[in-house]
Amino acid sequence: KLQLLSLNIMDGQPSLLLTCLHICPLPGVGCSSVQQKIYVQLNKTFPCVRLLNATHQIGCQSSVSGDTGVLHVLETETDLDWVLSSGPNPPYVVLMVAEHFNRSTMMKLKGSARVAGVAVVISKAGPAQGFSPHHSCPNQNSGVYSDSYGPELAGCNVTVWNPLGNSLSYEDFRFPIFSLHEGEEADVIRKCFLDHNRGVNGSDPAYPLCAMQLASHMYAVKDTATCMRRNDIQSRFSISPEFVCDALADYNVWSSLKPLNNSGKGHLDGESVVIAATRLDSRSFFWNEAPGGESAVGGFVTLLAAAQALRAVVEDHPPSQNILFTFFQGETFDYIGSSRMVYDMENGKFVIDLDNIHSLVEIGQVALHRNGQLWLHSDPVSRRNSSVRSELISNMKSTALNLSLSVAEPDVSQPLPPSSFQRFLRARPIPGVVLTDHMSAFSNRYYESLYDDAEYLNVSYPSGLSPEEQLEYVTDTAKTLAEVATLVARSLYKQAGGLDDHLSSINADPKIVTQMLYGFLVQSNNSWFRSLVSPDIVKNLVSAILFPASGPQPPQYYVGVPTSGDPVKMPTWLVQYVLANFTGTLRNLTQTQCKNPEDLEGESKDLYSYFWVQGPVPPNSTQGEGYCVRAPVRLVKAHSPAFELHQYSSRDYSTWTESRWKQIQARIFLVASRDLEMLTLGVGVAVLLVSLVVTYFINSKADLLFSSSRETTSTAY
Amino acid sequence: MNLERVPNEEKLNLCRKYYLGGFAFLPFLWLVNVVWFFREAFVKPPYTEQQHIKTYVKRSALGLLLWVAALTTWITIFQHFRAQWGEVADYLSFTIPLGIP
Repeated sequence: KLQLLSLNIMDGQPSLLLTCLHICPLPGVGCSSVQQKIYVQLNKTFPCVRLLNATHQIGCQSSVSGDTGVLHVLETETDLDWVLSSGPNPPYVVLMVAEHFNRSTMMKLKGSARVAGVAVVISKAGPAQGFSPHHSCPNQNSGVYSDSYGPELAGCNVTVWNPLGNSLSYEDFRFPIFSLHEGEEADVIRKCFLDHNRGVNGSDPAYPLCAMQLASHMYAVKDTATCMRRNDIQSRFSISPEFVCDALADYNVWSSLKPLNNSGKGHLDGESVVIAATRLDSRSFFWNEAPGGESAVGGFVTLLAAAQALRAVVEDHPPSQNILFTFFQGETFDYIGSSRMVYDMENGKFVIDLDNIHSLVEIGQVALHRNGQLWLHSDPVSRRNSSVRSELISNMKSTALNLSLSVAEPDVSQPLPPSSFQRFLRARPIPGVVLTDHMSAFSNRYYESLYDDAEYLNVSYPSGLSPEEQLEYVTDTAKTLAEVATLVARSLYKQAGGLDDHLSSINADPKIVTQMLYGFLVQSNNSWFRSLVSPDIVKNLVSAILFPASGPQPPQYYVGVPTSGDPVKMPTWLVQYVLANFTGTLRNLTQTQCKNPEDLEGESKDLYSYFWVQGPVPPNSTQGEGYCVRAPVRLVKAHSPAFELHQYSSRDYSTWTESRWKQIQARIFLVASRDLEMLTLGVGVAVLLVSLVVTYFINSKADLLFSSSRETTSTAY
Repeated sequence: MNLERVPNEEKLNLCRKYYLGGFAFLPFLWLVNVVWFFREAFVKPPYTEQQHIKTYVKRSALGLLLWVAALTTWITIFQHFRAQWGEVADYLSFTIPLGIP
């Protein structure tokens, strides 16, 4: 702190820093230490970034080198007044705890020119009254209901699905907003504020003041059409192209009970398929912070467990119809994954087409059901004369009777909740249901927010358990989700034409569910996941841990953009490998054979994917045995058709893009008053000028000064 | 080249070349012409070729002024309306600014 104080006159402006370079004893080495003495870098922060769609830009923007303001901690209404009107040293960077991070406060700050940025300290548990920065009617313009299809149901006219949604994630802020977690860094910032920014006895605080600089300069602007056009111009005319945005995209995971030939695309004669779908992604206000517990993980863990449960029966007693498991990516952003799959089916680019679909069962948010009560939603427009749909519903209801669950239908006139199924309905009136834990509005009080995490789903462990013991500990949430998975598996089996006799042998394993919940919600780098994935992904799992010291880390479910170093998102990899291990068979192949099995008899890359899996690591060894798994599990692109068709203003398909940026940085330091800064600069310039004059003078009189002085000294002796 | 050592015919020749070259959309040649031959045309004691040099320098200056006026007007208009023009302006731009419309 003393060092900070002694150097405070230098301020935080990099340009001003240049004027002070003469104090560096050694170029380079010395200066970096000066920088360290001035700034305290905040590393564990997550920014809010700019996203764009066909019509809008959302998120946050800072100036190129970052926005700087005097730090002020927001605790009461007076603090808000201080920032917005009475404080004497604007602009301010506001530090707030998560309770204040609500719409009314943020909109007040957004409207003020005295705010240079906001830092939000995230606590472990969310506000009791709930918090959702998402829309109250998610994906309302990309679902099935519109003026031409059930106009009375469009725009959440009947049911507001996410009543707590305040749409904060869809605002456009002109200042940067960062999040940081409660902990050491938050304490350092608070201490800096308490030490410097509070006046003695109610007087105005005196300089030097504690300031914060937040940098998150976004390249893209306005909308997707603009940024894609600029990408295009850059790639065609620029020598060093600087792209400004990328489409949100990743991969869907799909698998089928009986393998489908991947080399043949389009309609499959005589094939009738039951689709079991769910979503893989979530989001929050901040970039790449998306625990997605209830909104994604609960659903896809249920479907994975159901796929695993079906395996025991289908080998000996396969149902007459095929079942296609699909895990859609990017559904949060106007159904990227499902709209792409439907588009591919329509255009003969997928292994089956829409006519092959018998019916569809979607697992929505299911982890927060009360007393085993689940709800089956169906579409009131297309269901009027569908026998398949009523069969599906009666199947599910009768299956639930043997379990400790009850399944009911909500009021007839209620539309479907936001679901991938809506994208299928846009193309074809396919019979189907969406299984959820809510009758009307979501049970989820933290929809698409930071708090939709393990804790909210009650995935917690008795204290004192080691990570290995936690992995094996069966939580109550896992038990109830395993019940739901059993229900799903049995209903799917029955729906696909399986016989009732075998239903009782289909049971989801609570232990596997609890392991999945641990891996997907608490710690992805665990021994079980490591044993299921390929050695390359194990390396990624370990290196993906950003802050090893700060405890276990689950994967984040924000769909993001594909990068060269990270072509497929970690959750997608994990789901693919878990599914392959659950539904595949062990093949006695070496690692090289596993990579290229075409030449071997009885193996086919068209029917199956081959996965080289690390295998469990024996107690006193660092490397597993490794084995080859053969499973009909595949990845297909979840990249919105709008980008394929170059329709960047599309109203039918998702147009979401993420801006690029160069630097994300947050730091605090002490600033001097403007007067002192100017005085320092003035003195510096004056010294420079004086030294120039003196040097010139000395130089011109050099003969006189130096030679004569030597002579005079010598004569003096 | 030092103009002092060049014969007067050579000066006139050079001045004319620069003057004519400026018409190939090269206003900088006119600028150079004006700066270089200003002394020759207006300060030096009269000589035979001076009359011609004077004309060329005057015309170069006029052309230069027109160019400056035209460019200033266009740049002002372009910078002011670039964001508004959207697509057209992007295609007219050599470097596209990052993060602003």
